[in-house]
Amino acid sequence: MTRSHLPARPPRTARPRRTAVRSALLAGVLLAATACGLDGAPDGGETRRTGKASGEITFRTLQLKPKYTAYVQGLVDAFEAEHPGVRVRWEDVPGDGYNEKLVADAQAGALPDVVNLNTDSFQLLADRGLLADVAALDPGAAKEYVPGAWEQFKLPGRGDSVFAYPWYVTPEILTYNRELFRASGLNPDRPPTTVEQFFDHADRIAERSGGRYAAFMADPKGRLPGDWQKMGVPILNPARNRFAFDTPGAVAWVERMKSLYAKGAMPKESLLKSDDVNQLYGSGKLVFGPGSPGFVRDIKQNAPQVYADTQVAGAVTGRLGHIGIYAQSLGIRKSTRHPDAAIAFARWVTNGPNQVEFSRNATVYPSSAQGLADPRFADRGDGRDADTVARAVGAEQLKTAALDANTPVEWTNQVGDAVVREVQKAIKGEQDAATAVRRAREEADKLLADAARR
Amino acid sequence: MTGDDRRPAAARAAGAARRPLHRRWWSPYLFLAPGLASVVLFGLWPFANTVVLSFTDARILTGGGFVGLDNYRRALGDPDFWTAAGNSVLYLLVVVPCLVLLPLALAVLVQARVPGIGFFRSAYYTPVIASAVVVGLVWQWVLRSDGLVNTVFLRLRIVSEPVPFLTDSTLLLVSAMLVTVWKGLGYYMVFYLAALGNVPASLHEAAALDGAGPVRRFVHVTVPQVKPMMLLVGTLSAVSALRVFTEVYILGGESGGPGGGARTLPFLIRQVGLGFAGETGYASAISLLLFLLTLAFSLLGRRLARGDEA
Repeated sequence: MTRSHLPARPPRTARPRRTAVRSALLAGVLLAATACGLDGAPDGGETRRTGKASGEITFRTLQLKPKYTAYVQGLVDAFEAEHPGVRVRWEDVPGDGYNEKLVADAQAGALPDVVNLNTDSFQLLADRGLLADVAALDPGAAKEYVPGAWEQFKLPGRGDSVFAYPWYVTPEILTYNRELFRASGLNPDRPPTTVEQFFDHADRIAERSGGRYAAFMADPKGRLPGDWQKMGVPILNPARNRFAFDTPGAVAWVERMKSLYAKGAMPKESLLKSDDVNQLYGSGKLVFGPGSPGFVRDIKQNAPQVYADTQVAGAVTGRLGHIGIYAQSLGIRKSTRHPDAAIAFARWVTNGPNQVEFSRNATVYPSSAQGLADPRFADRGDGRDADTVARAVGAEQLKTAALDANTPVEWTNQVGDAVVREVQKAIKGEQDAATAVRRAREEADKLLADAARR
Repeated sequence: MTGDDRRPAAARAAGAARRPLHRRWWSPYLFLAPGLASVVLFGLWPFANTVVLSFTDARILTGGGFVGLDNYRRALGDPDFWTAAGNSVLYLLVVVPCLVLLPLALAVLVQARVPGIGFFRSAYYTPVIASAVVVGLVWQWVLRSDGLVNTVFLRLRIVSEPVPFLTDSTLLLVSAMLVTVWKGLGYYMVFYLAALGNVPASLHEAAALDGAGPVRRFVHVTVPQVKPMMLLVGTLSAVSALRVFTEVYILGGESGGPGGGARTLPFLIRQVGLGFAGETGYASAISLLLFLLTLAFSLLGRRLARGDEA
């Protein structure tokens, strides 16, 4: 084809203008279209029971496939067999990005009918009216669960409303290497029970270890605000509109951390959470392991030598005297079309026998009172096997667990990060402890005020 | 077709219907559509959304209201923003020259036709195919206070205390730069190998006849010939340097170094926008500022290229 057959090109000078006009139009259309997506579209609506469980419901779990596929599928099948009119569509979502997916679904009005929630996601969805009040819809449910777990799913200022059924729990315990305790001149049968004693132990370990092993991980994010609560440091003012942790107690905590870090009581890199605690504990380089029963099981499988030296005790609880409780839960979507089926299914999954069965498959504990009373959770064996002892210690502590030991809702990720940044600088010796705590409180207050304005 | 079509309208319509598919006016758009749709859906749309969000106080779960330039004012008055912006620019200023020059030197070395050179070419390229997370973990073990480098330094009594490569903000940033350069060497080396293959051997022969040694031939023959490629590598590495996140995250943990002192702009964006309390509006404003910074450096690269052509 010769050039003369082609349509005449517009003069060169006109092209940039036309391109500019087209680009502006495209940008305008896109901006206008995206602006439409600005409004959050909460998944509202009322929930009314009909008294008959029927219909198809969706059920979403958090990272239970493929390890617990058989268990969960078994639950679903047994439920469907008992309720012929109900069909349960189960989907499992990986842990990474779970909350983000929930947010996206909530915005799109596509939350599942029965959804596995952790503490963070529960609070946010419930606060925005996306979850049904199960205490009102299912009045008999309260007595079935451990009080601490049931209370966890209430919201401040919403009376007795409860917005999710408690499911499985992992309590906090204390794990440590008995041999390293002895090598540091400490009595393994007298573990620390307060934060101050814990630091005294770390001090002794740093003195005796000669740099061969450390006491615990320095990362302040894993220790705050829990340590402060256990020391009696108030986190918020009574009105809960300002942070109140700028106290001599918190300053003393930072000073102690700084001194211990300088002495080598913590691995240097652990300040940044880039260290793997399992690896350090499993190779005998750390005295205190992470405080969860699941960790004990991991060590049993991966580092049998260190496992033989591992001892378990009640968590450091300080002045509180009890641990907090972080139960996984099952929320019911407020606008579900089949509330009876959804409630019946959530009750089925969280009932005593089914939760005890789950705890046989995984290192989790039942939130159901009946489940926790199972003899399995009172059995300490001969007191030598850390895994068995951990189960008994964890269950015992759960019975008295209370919410005042939990991280307050106001202590968001952003607040935690801001506090940790200031504390890290102090631990490194880049600023003094009092300045760090003051700045941390100012930053946290700013974030809290900012959140309250919206 | 002639300009003067005297056939009846019905016949003309039938002719149009018989026209093969690829001759219809909308056919090109049909072929463009899939690509265009993905660009609009995954590129332009999110970008436009970010622009809109940056003028609002939106949070993760709440639609925001229009707040004008508040987010931009807040960013410009936020010391964290300036630390992160400073770190990002410093990253670029150190990493780009290294990634423009070192891969060229490496390419010249492995271009030589000697037995077994293929092994070296592959070896230098290996870090490129390794995942950033694996690379970060390997370097973490190398640079820790009880890692390889510090153990060697201590044994040789070069230092009396371990060097805080990962626990000092400045050294952490330098360590992250080192990882970026190490990982980018092989990638850009391949670019240069292609460019070097296009340098006519006759130019080298003529220069050699004129008495130029290897260094002069490199400076006066090789470099001018691969200059366009150097500019391309410079622009590409500048853009990726401004987007650096993984290296800092893996080496410095989720706080971005002690006190967050090694945070880069993408790091800050993630921190501000993440979680249920994430400030989508503010994070979008910082993203836009990062975009402008990237655009500025890209335009600079383009201007340099133009100046070179002239």
